[in-house]
Amino acid sequence: MERGRPKTAWREIAALVLVLFVFSLTGVALETLKNKFPKIGPLPPVSIPKDNPMSPEKTELGKMLFFDTRFSGDGSISCSTCHEPAMGWGDGNDLSRGYPGTQHWRNSQTVLNAAYYDKLFWAGEVTSLESQANAAITGNLAGNGDPMMIEERLRQAPDYVRIFKKVFGREPLYSDALKAIAAFERTVPISRNVPFDKYIKGNKKSLSAKAVKGMEIFQNKANCIQCHNGPLFSDQDYHNLDLPENPVFKEDPLRQIALRFQHSSRGVDEKIYRKADRDLGLYYTTKREQDKGKFRTPSLRELKYTAPYMHNGLFVTLEEVVDFYDKGGGHEENPNKSPLLKPLGLTPDEKEALISFLESLSGDEIKMDPPALPDYAKIIPEGDKP
Amino acid sequence: MLIGAAVFAATIHLWASSREEGRVLSPLPMAAAGVREEAGLGKMLFFDTRLSGDATLSCTSCHIPQKAFADGQALSAGYPSTLYFRNTPSLLNSAFKKRVYWDGRLPGNDLPTVVRDHLSEAHFMQADGRLLVERLRQVPEYEEAFRKAYGGEPSYGKILNALSAYVKSLVSPEAPLDKFLAGDRSALSAGAERGMELFKGKAGCIQCHSGPMLTDEGFHNLGAPENLEVFEEPLRHITFRRFFKTLGVENTHLLRKDMGLYAVTKEPGDQGKFKTPSLREAARTAPYMHNGVLNTLEEVIEFYNKGGGPEAGENRPLKPLGLSEQEKKDLVEFLKALSGKEMGVEAPSLPEYKVRELGKN
Repeated sequence: MERGRPKTAWREIAALVLVLFVFSLTGVALETLKNKFPKIGPLPPVSIPKDNPMSPEKTELGKMLFFDTRFSGDGSISCSTCHEPAMGWGDGNDLSRGYPGTQHWRNSQTVLNAAYYDKLFWAGEVTSLESQANAAITGNLAGNGDPMMIEERLRQAPDYVRIFKKVFGREPLYSDALKAIAAFERTVPISRNVPFDKYIKGNKKSLSAKAVKGMEIFQNKANCIQCHNGPLFSDQDYHNLDLPENPVFKEDPLRQIALRFQHSSRGVDEKIYRKADRDLGLYYTTKREQDKGKFRTPSLRELKYTAPYMHNGLFVTLEEVVDFYDKGGGHEENPNKSPLLKPLGLTPDEKEALISFLESLSGDEIKMDPPALPDYAKIIPEGDKP
Repeated sequence: MLIGAAVFAATIHLWASSREEGRVLSPLPMAAAGVREEAGLGKMLFFDTRLSGDATLSCTSCHIPQKAFADGQALSAGYPSTLYFRNTPSLLNSAFKKRVYWDGRLPGNDLPTVVRDHLSEAHFMQADGRLLVERLRQVPEYEEAFRKAYGGEPSYGKILNALSAYVKSLVSPEAPLDKFLAGDRSALSAGAERGMELFKGKAGCIQCHSGPMLTDEGFHNLGAPENLEVFEEPLRHITFRRFFKTLGVENTHLLRKDMGLYAVTKEPGDQGKFKTPSLREAARTAPYMHNGVLNTLEEVIEFYNKGGGPEAGENRPLKPLGLSEQEKKDLVEFLKALSGKEMGVEAPSLPEYKVRELGKN
């Protein structure tokens, strides 16, 4: 049934609009802003892909593989070399050390909570932990491993053969190894006992007053929540902060090699290769001008253990990070710089509070001793000598 | 020039004189004349460990100039944390090889491809070509050397070509046999000369070891025993299985013998066949055979004297020879006369990485 609008209602409507306008000026807008973004809060359970169901045995196998140097080409480094539990599951360097004979061009990201990302690596190059493991194992500046060689290495260790058969029902396969590593990453390096999480769940004592103030600043004045939102504190989107390049690229031949290699191996136009002087981030994947220098927002959880910060490890302390954002990000002429960044005008107290909040996002340190790894054995059955 | 003409005449003469057998001994051909800059650049690259994935190995790690560009090991080492399952062959005279590797899996007339295989294979140098280019571009002296040799900056193709040019330039030094064939009758001792006659006659070596490189470039199954280390040393067995798997051989986990040419052709009759190696510089390239199971020339002669190994196929080319002790000695003496003066190869000094001006690539 059609209902005609009474012609006499215009005065009421105008009055309502006016009232709303006045309200918006008086602070309701802050609430609205907060609600614009996915809420921060405790992490939900990790979602498990259908093709890689979990089991304790699989996780245990993944842990062994994570620490096993047989995944690298020359057998000298394992996942844990650049993702070391004692170093916040990163490597503690501004830029990752990379494969022997090379030096990587990006910061080694923490594995902590990596299970929650739907895109991994600093420029979101892959979309699952399984494919991340593959890319890191085979990357020429990372593991430089050969999948078939790795598979044969695993098959040379009877204990691995036994465990793979138990977990996957077949001889070791490289693809199953990736699944086991991913299962491990979905289980173990996950935030535990985080003050912020406890606070949200109702334990108001778990955050200091300063941290609570910092949480307010995070969501309002400093506007961190624009990108660092949701339980992971990441929008999983790409942004250009106009972050200065790490000066090491001006000084270190091996880093220069790595930077050019990234350009040439990702197939950028020659003109861009010739001028390569910085990490182009998302551009390597999309080749869209506006994606130059964009990187995927990292989680803010477990920051206590994961310095240095940013894709190139430029900042060693949270103070430096906060100062950078307080100034509105970088100040080079940069058409791709995110419009979300503006000078914040934070007072020293506010910065301190913000950092106190950021620190409350770190839980217990997740330490881990390397497990015992299976030895190679001769695999000639008795009586079957050549 | 005169020597060249004499060598040529001697070749023709010998060719004609033993035509009926179709197998002759002939002197060294002229060295392949490479462009000097190209081979010079190739020599630097040949010695440079930055050409391997983790920058620990150069070509010389396995092809040692003082060991006639072999490595003196029964089985080749390979990339760190791998161990290879065959003997490193000498690189000398590669310019004249028809097939490369013991199983002949690559053609000798395409050395850049052979070089590429060495640089990139997981069991050899495991390096990414694009990464090598960027490494060399970080060395101004290399950039200059590539410009001089090729008129341009380093590229993977040029790296392969330069290394090929150097490898092509590696021709074995003139041996006593060459002087003898050129007319210098005193170049061979009496024993060596008797050995040569046995080589061509009673011992029948010339059936397969003929021509200037003393090889028929063919493939034969001699029934040489397996080198047990290939199966007993886990790292070698890993490399062995992976290798045969990459060539599409089935059930590699059950293999207890090196399949040789079969892995390339998949012809059942090619199982255990390996390429006849050149005998030039043989005295400097011990241990012998595709898997280095024989340590000395004496052991090699003894192996053939017995008619090869027990595991040769039905069409075994070998029969017991019935050589006397003196005959064996004479043969060894002849084999030693296939080595020339030691090649003095001086290691080049290699330029370091330098910082480049960022953004000017």
